[in-house]
Amino acid sequence: MNVVTDPAKLLLERMLRLLRWRVWIQEKLQPTEWQVTLLWAGLVGFLGALSSLVFSGLAEGVHQLLTGSNAGVVESMKQLPWWAVLVLPAAGGLLAGLVLMLGKHLTRGESSTDYMEAILIGSGNVPIRSSLVKSAAALFSIGSGGSIGREGPMVQLAAVMASFLGRWRQFTPPQLRLLVACGAAAGIASAYNAPIAGSFFVAEIILGTIAMESLGPLAVSAVAAALTVRVLTSEAQLYKVPEFKLNSPLEMPAYIALGVIAGVLAPWFLRSLKRSEGLFVATKFPLTVRLMLGGLVVGALAIQVPEVCGNGYSVVVNILNGRVLWTTLFVIVVCKWLATAASFGSGAPGGVFTPSLFMGASAGYLFGFAINSVWPGGAGDPRAFALVGMGAFLSAVSHAPVMAVIMLFEMTLSYDIILPLMLCSVVAYYTAKGLEGRSLYSEALKKKAAETPGGSAFGLGQVAELMKRKPPTLPRGAHFAEIARMFLSMRVNNLYVTDTEDRFLGAVSLHDIKPYLGEPELAELVIASDILREDFPRVAPDATLSEALGRFLNFEAERLPVVNGEGKLLGSLAKGDLLLALVEMRKKPVAA
Amino acid sequence: MITLSFALNTPTELIAAPDVVVTDLRVTSGEEAIRALHQRLRAATPDVKDAAQFLKDLLERAAISSVCIAADVALPHARTVAVSRIVLAVARTATPVTFDAEHPGVRLVFLIGTPKAAVAEYLQTVAALSRLLKNAATRADLLAAPTEADFRAVLARAQRR
Repeated sequence: MNVVTDPAKLLLERMLRLLRWRVWIQEKLQPTEWQVTLLWAGLVGFLGALSSLVFSGLAEGVHQLLTGSNAGVVESMKQLPWWAVLVLPAAGGLLAGLVLMLGKHLTRGESSTDYMEAILIGSGNVPIRSSLVKSAAALFSIGSGGSIGREGPMVQLAAVMASFLGRWRQFTPPQLRLLVACGAAAGIASAYNAPIAGSFFVAEIILGTIAMESLGPLAVSAVAAALTVRVLTSEAQLYKVPEFKLNSPLEMPAYIALGVIAGVLAPWFLRSLKRSEGLFVATKFPLTVRLMLGGLVVGALAIQVPEVCGNGYSVVVNILNGRVLWTTLFVIVVCKWLATAASFGSGAPGGVFTPSLFMGASAGYLFGFAINSVWPGGAGDPRAFALVGMGAFLSAVSHAPVMAVIMLFEMTLSYDIILPLMLCSVVAYYTAKGLEGRSLYSEALKKKAAETPGGSAFGLGQVAELMKRKPPTLPRGAHFAEIARMFLSMRVNNLYVTDTEDRFLGAVSLHDIKPYLGEPELAELVIASDILREDFPRVAPDATLSEALGRFLNFEAERLPVVNGEGKLLGSLAKGDLLLALVEMRKKPVAA
Repeated sequence: MITLSFALNTPTELIAAPDVVVTDLRVTSGEEAIRALHQRLRAATPDVKDAAQFLKDLLERAAISSVCIAADVALPHARTVAVSRIVLAVARTATPVTFDAEHPGVRLVFLIGTPKAAVAEYLQTVAALSRLLKNAATRADLLAAPTEADFRAVLARAQRR
């Protein structure tokens, strides 16, 4: 056998060998677009966890800077003199307001879209600068003891990372939206150390579907995030609680009553927050002044009741462990409600998710305690009622009972209480829904949807909205070597061939050339036009999604070319994107 | 690979029994060779439905890029609507013919016409031919075969191996 020395020939043989491997791996592993999406979801989960950790680290740093103490928010407030407690939240409000004002210059022209809007009704674009500005402002409102959750900004940041990554990799809108949803799931998973709830929160509330097409990537992302947090920090479950159990079936009526109470209180709670916001806006003060005022209210309350500061986490831990007197708790609840209304109403950036948990825990404990004092058999352990109350309140506020049950379970790892928890959450959900059609999240989304023409993300439901522009193409005279190189660098099974005016001529299929990759002699002879499949199916840009699906059903391909009436190749449509969009369109659009 | 042996005109059967065999093609250029074989093929089989189109496609393909697979072997070919099945014409030139700058000494010409949709069959045919011609002994036998019958016999024998 003669030795080949021509470098070009050697290169070609090498390339064909590589391509043979690629085909072999592809046939053995069959990586589909879904599997690749899972990889991206995992990366998004990792990045989301990092951004969450950085944010909470920064918030603690700001808190330490402002109070000179590295203890929890409530603890450090207790150590400060009364005037400092009064001034601090107001100062935090001022700083947050200044950051937002300065940020306005940076974010001019950017919308203030948050991650939920981006997933539900937008194209998956979460504006980076305005999100960063909001998060920076949140650092001050949180660090200074504002009665607001830190988890909201964490989730938003994780979603921004995902959106950034997806836009950088030029994902199509359905994929981008899914990736942002993965980011949100990662944010929740890392903020609450609750990967299952993280995936279900996004699936249930934002995507509105638990179809496996979307739940799978969400789960992967949430797991990656929770794993990252567990490796980098020493945190186990969020709320350490004693062992709770259902003492007797006789407790069930009390739990059902608690569900009704939570279901009634939750809409009230939400309405009071809205009301407070209205009052603050009615003052016509600039945002910075409003934020200061809100801070001042929190500070004034905190002089006597320092527990109102922060997201309420440490108080909830104390309630669940039975370390708070009911009389004290009653005072704290009232003040905390006012403080949350003041912080939220003044426009402080942050979330109300954790404050909701606080309200639920307090309501549950107080109710359980009341029953216990008149009939001990009806409510054996008021602390268990606190835990169930958290789930019920969360379910009523968010209108997502599945997520609420799972989240409570994950945060406390207390399984024995699951029966009353499930029942109570469902009762609370129906009660709240009967009283009030909107949830914690539907309000903002509705408002935004009204501004967006078309309503849902896929206004017309046409192929053009889903296609990826500028697919890789070959000229008809392309040699085998060029074709092989392109197949190696792109993860596609068909390459599109166009003429000099971008007109679609057909496709070269990896499947066709697969048996001949071992024959370099052929490589010199064969060019694209020799093996071009002119009858390759194509879709029109204005075809409906179901028409496009029909094309895929008749032809085995992951992607199809999008070709307009003049025969020009505009882009390519991925089967995965199409299925995602169809899954989402099937559900009733929340925006409508 | 399992092929249905009784099906007519599989690529291997076609190579064993081409539509046209010419053992002393007298031409001076690649284009002349293509034209001459095209002419014979059109006379030999009704499956060349549109002779003019077929010739046009053959010349167009040859103009885009080289059709030679070795210093002395050329495979002019076209995927075309002008034929209703794969057709093959084989020729040995009387003197070396220049197909292009890099291939001035072509002696064996295999002219192939393939229906548009038959991408796989086209690749099979070309691959089978290139395997067959890689064998130095077969090439020598083809160049030495005194008559058309001998030439066909070499092809048939080589294809059976």
